[in-house]
Amino acid sequence: MTTQEIAVTSEIEIAEASPTNLWRDALARLAANRLALVAILPIVLLFFIAAFGPYLTPYDFLAQDFTARLVSPSSEHWLGTDELGRDVFSRILYGARTAVSVGLVSTAISLVVGLVMGSLAGYLGGRVDMLVVWLTDVTRSMPALLLAIVINLTLKVPLEAWMEQMYLATKNTFFRQTMWVDLVLVFGALALIQWPGYARLIRGQILSIRSRNYVLAARALGMPTGRILTRYVIPNAMGPLIVAVSAGMGGAMVLESAFSFLGVGVQLPIPSWGKMISDGLRMWQTHPHLLVGPAVMMAVITVSFAWLGDGLNDALNPRQWGG
Amino acid sequence: MSQTESSNGVPLVRVENLSKHFSVRIGAYGETRATVHALDDVSFNVQRGETLGLVGESGCGKSTAGLTLLQLHRPTSGKVFFEEQEVTGLSEKEMRPLRRRMQIIFQDPYSTLSPRMTIGNAIGEPLWLHELATGQDAQERIAKLLDDVGLNPAFAFRYPHEFSGGQRQRVCIARALACEPEFIVCDEPISALDVSIQAQIINLLQDLQEEYNLTYLFIAHDLAVVRHISDRVAVMYLGRVVEMAPKERLFENPLHPYTNALLLSVPVPNPRLERQREHTVISGNVPSAINPPSGCRFHPRCPLAFEPCDHVVPEWREVEAGHWVACHAV
Amino acid sequence: MSVLLDVQELQTRFQVRKGYVYAVNGISFTLEEGETLAVVGESGCGKSVTMLSLVRLLPPAASIENGKVLLRGEDLLELNLRQLRDVRGGEVGMIFQDPMTSLNPFINIGTQMAEPLVYHRGMSKSDALARSAELLEMVGIPDGEARLREYPHQFSGGMRQRVMIAMSMSCEPAVLIADEPTTALDVTIQAQIVDLVKELRDRSGVAVIWITHDLSVVAGIADRVIVMYAGYIVEEAPVDALFEDPRHPYTVGLMGALPSLTGETGTRLTTIGGSPPDLIELPDFCPFHPRCPYAIDRCRKENPMLEPVAEASDRGHRAACWVDIRDVSVSSEAGVAAD
Ligand SMILES: Nc1ncnc2c1ncn2[C@@H]1O[C@H](COP(=O)(O)OP(=O)(O)OP(=O)(O)O)[C@@H](O)[C@H]1O
Ligand SMILES: Nc1ncnc2c1ncn2[C@@H]1O[C@H](COP(=O)(O)OP(=O)(O)O)[C@@H](O)[C@H]1O
Ligand code: SF4
Ligand code: SF4
Ligand SMILES: [Mg+2]
Ligand SMILES: [Mg+2]
Repeated sequence: MTTQEIAVTSEIEIAEASPTNLWRDALARLAANRLALVAILPIVLLFFIAAFGPYLTPYDFLAQDFTARLVSPSSEHWLGTDELGRDVFSRILYGARTAVSVGLVSTAISLVVGLVMGSLAGYLGGRVDMLVVWLTDVTRSMPALLLAIVINLTLKVPLEAWMEQMYLATKNTFFRQTMWVDLVLVFGALALIQWPGYARLIRGQILSIRSRNYVLAARALGMPTGRILTRYVIPNAMGPLIVAVSAGMGGAMVLESAFSFLGVGVQLPIPSWGKMISDGLRMWQTHPHLLVGPAVMMAVITVSFAWLGDGLNDALNPRQWGG
Repeated sequence: MSQTESSNGVPLVRVENLSKHFSVRIGAYGETRATVHALDDVSFNVQRGETLGLVGESGCGKSTAGLTLLQLHRPTSGKVFFEEQEVTGLSEKEMRPLRRRMQIIFQDPYSTLSPRMTIGNAIGEPLWLHELATGQDAQERIAKLLDDVGLNPAFAFRYPHEFSGGQRQRVCIARALACEPEFIVCDEPISALDVSIQAQIINLLQDLQEEYNLTYLFIAHDLAVVRHISDRVAVMYLGRVVEMAPKERLFENPLHPYTNALLLSVPVPNPRLERQREHTVISGNVPSAINPPSGCRFHPRCPLAFEPCDHVVPEWREVEAGHWVACHAV
Repeated sequence: MSVLLDVQELQTRFQVRKGYVYAVNGISFTLEEGETLAVVGESGCGKSVTMLSLVRLLPPAASIENGKVLLRGEDLLELNLRQLRDVRGGEVGMIFQDPMTSLNPFINIGTQMAEPLVYHRGMSKSDALARSAELLEMVGIPDGEARLREYPHQFSGGMRQRVMIAMSMSCEPAVLIADEPTTALDVTIQAQIVDLVKELRDRSGVAVIWITHDLSVVAGIADRVIVMYAGYIVEEAPVDALFEDPRHPYTVGLMGALPSLTGETGTRLTTIGGSPPDLIELPDFCPFHPRCPYAIDRCRKENPMLEPVAEASDRGHRAACWVDIRDVSVSSEAGVAAD
């Protein structure tokens, strides 16, 4: 052996073999998760129905047909009709609107409140932090449903009175629609119940990310605080947040149903699954079709959101990816 | 480069009596306040183009020294000058132009890059921020920087998790270089890496120093590495620098008992030598920085401790040209 | 000296999403009574998995596919869980890298130390505690009796490692396996721990397997050394022979990469270019060839076996390499394509 060929594969080629990126990888992981895939279908369907429901429904959700009250499912009324002869299927489709808007709006409100409070607590620390933590503790220590009832009982009458006054003063018909009061109260109660969870999550994320070296490195580069937040802190806090939001949407819908069930939810005439379930329960022995439809929808959607949340959790956590 | 310069010419970085104390809560419920004396009354210069090594055991304040020097911690007292301009007390905004010129590389290449940012973007941030290059220019600079640190420019679109520890450390080095700095604090840049990768990074740092005439403050706990890379070496113990000298002198003729003990603790990669070597293992642990020992902080472990050591702080003085030490016995 | 531990063709792999990670690939070695064997290699080369396989302390994803682990002739891989428990902590003591997490933070030191004594030795609780106090003094923690009531967080890293050593030595094991026991510690504390283990070894005659990635530590403590790479033993030699006459390019590379405390400075370190392979396939080539400056065609086609080296086999010096590297010279910085 005299001359030896010096063969060296550089690192370059070794690393070239695995072209990936975090989000694409996460998506691939999600796609490989059968439960999550199964869950996406009803959720997409739900949003579709919420958007286009009115064009799909065979009947107006308010249309009462006193000749066909409490009929069982038939080719005319796929899921039958209720006491007032309203088509149950149509009402379920409309109910999707309530569910989605409750999920989206209340989650959005609580997320914004949570983001602001959580970031303040995490970034400023000290007294602000103590105050926010105390507030979240207090809110979380109160039973959610009780809170909703209390809010509803104390605020509903004054709010409606105020609307009436505004109507008399402005003659704007907007103030005639008392369902807005319902919506505001329901969203408000939901947001109140849910913001502490988001605030705590965001606070924790910021505390842990703030101490990461890449934030220190960014400071060493002379980066201004705003850019550090938007470029380094927030993107890294996103993963757990997306997961929490997904689970939170389902949670909000269930809560809204519970409110309706207790009579503090969105009042008629907007159909709400919770309200339909509670009405259906009264006569489930004689007319089970009133209960089955909304109950099944509710169950499917909550389970779907839970599965999607789990799937996102795994997909966004590189540690779950294995070798 | 040259240690003899230390007495003439303007130093690039001058640190004067720098201290950093942290206020912490201790006790099971955090009921008591206490002060951590992480850095106490430390002074040194770094000349342009040289490497000053900073060694000491874990928790002795090396990182704190580096971070406080760069104003990433607000100093409790003391001053730092960069090219004779005082940087202590500057606002973050006033610091920004200086930040470009003084950079840092961290120990842990895993947490130093944002996992959500491609390495091209990570390296591009300082270019954008300090308006060094834009658009096509910036892309070319990024490619050149990656090439400089021995990475394929095509990697710019990859995320940190696709790289090994050594490769990530190269990315961190490229990011620091993007600012075209003159001075870099290297805070244990190789401690988290495997032996064979450590050597790659050491060589890279030395090559870059030559190419760009960089000045390093090189923090490490491995004496052999510090000896290899530094021109001068400072030894820290419990928040204080106890000895500083050109490396030949420090390693051949250590004056401070702690330096001596540290040198004797380092295993030698030679079995025959190792069997014959004198083994005076230094006893005890580094005491807590919360209540550091009075007088000379090394006195509870020092084999030479005598009368004044436990109540008089030894003076930091130059015993020969360029050889500084703080010990009553010297 | 007689053979205490005889490991034959040990193979362990992990089930992962993409298939398998081949962590340990059919390695064989022996340990004699009272001997100190060092195992070196970079992180991920299979050192820990090898040692955990010996006493079957592997995570659930791992499976031992093949091999024998004969402790005084008895195959540990054939034992049932009960018998195995008697071996762990009894015949075989273990110390781990991270002294912070290997002790239970909620239980005081005394209770933790007494447990193996009660379990393996059938001592009464009070005898066990008394013995624990003695053991603490033995590993250099004064005032042992008082400290038994303290909790792990009240000890420094070095002291926790001493406690771990005391615990693993408490049942007078025949083998002490130490997995990077000083990696998390400072040099001065490392020196203390190395001295302590040497002293205990000389006193009790326990055989030690000392795992480390630091060749310098090896020089001071080992009788014999195994160098691992990618789940294979690539070189095995008595400690002097390994340092004076290394025969595997990886060993040579590791030594060149070490800066030293004496001799010339201002030289460049020799490096091993690239990084270790991921072990998702069993290689049918030399796993080191992408980084090896000596590689020849054959290296890319066949994986070399661990065989006695030329002109030194009597010393038990073995290496897994197709090339006799003494015949070849390569530039000191070969293999650094990455730079
Ligand atoms: N933000 C902080 N708050 C409170 N104490 C701190 C803080 N940062 C560091 N310390 C303390 O200051 C002392 C010096 O810490 P420093 O990180 O500078 O040590 P080091 O020499 O870099 O150690 P290592 O080798 O482990 O990196 C330690 O006692 C440490 O616990
Ligand atoms: N729980 C695990 N799952 C999958 N692979 C693992 C696991 N633990 C270790 N490995 C792999 O086994 C190989 C050897 O690991 P290990 O023995 O821990 O290395 P070291 O030499 O650093 O002790 C590595 O490639 C590692 O990635
Ligand atoms: S001053 Fe005293 S205690 Fe301190 S190092 Fe010198 S001799 Fe030792
Ligand atoms: S077998 Fe070939 S590639 Fe492997 S170590 Fe020997 S020379 Fe290098
Ligand atoms: Mg540090
Ligand atoms: Mg290991």
